[in-house]
Amino acid sequence: MANPKRDGMGGPDVLRRAGDASVLILTSLADGAKHGYALIQDIKGFAGLQLGPGTLYGALDRLERMGLIEALPAEDRRQPYRITAAGVGALRAHLDSIERVSSVGRLRLGLEGI
Amino acid sequence: MPGSRSMRLVESALRCYPRRWRSRHGDEAAEIASLLIRDGTPARSVAWSYLMGAARTRLVTGPRRRVSAAVGALLLAAGSLGVSLALLSSPAPANAANVTHSRTAHPRPADVRDGGSRPADPRYGGGRGALDRCDRHDRC
Repeated sequence: MANPKRDGMGGPDVLRRAGDASVLILTSLADGAKHGYALIQDIKGFAGLQLGPGTLYGALDRLERMGLIEALPAEDRRQPYRITAAGVGALRAHLDSIERVSSVGRLRLGLEGI
Repeated sequence: MPGSRSMRLVESALRCYPRRWRSRHGDEAAEIASLLIRDGTPARSVAWSYLMGAARTRLVTGPRRRVSAAVGALLLAAGSLGVSLALLSSPAPANAANVTHSRTAHPRPADVRDGGSRPADPRYGGGRGALDRCDRHDRC
């Protein structure tokens, strides 16, 4: 298995243990700031699954503690969030990692080039 | 607007969050719940999600609480281990329970009382015969 640090393939994958909800939220925030309900709707659109609101807030708090997202000034009752530079780096490293696993899996299943 | 009964259910779940969380997210969380219910998500499911979220939030709020939870879990584990060891070391419950594998693992109390001078009874897994059987079967 390739070691990202040793092989110089990007930073460490801090999202590996952060859970799928965190990755989905960062992916959703990658194209602009959103509040909770917009995040749920966007994720439903591109991933086909509806995050529970409790799961959403848990992941938002965790990502904020990790410094990967930040809260913007509230608009009415809604609290928008945006991805930080660290969040962009973490998401990129995680997507690279998934990409490597995906290409190995496809190669071993004989799906490469189909 | 969702029914008041649905919202009461959700609000009950939201009350399970710590006060600090509610002061920050409470209003928005209630609004999201009402929008999701309006979109067709069952109120039970929204409330359950908040309930689980509240439990997780309470478990991971601050390092002091994490340490308390860890110490509590260790004490609980140590306590249950102590009880288990006490039950295992006491011969009476083991005999009363008539557990078959204990016969192969330990000599009968009568053998112990005799100081091991009495020939071991193969019916109870004593003697070299039992060890031979164990050598042949990995499950021993």
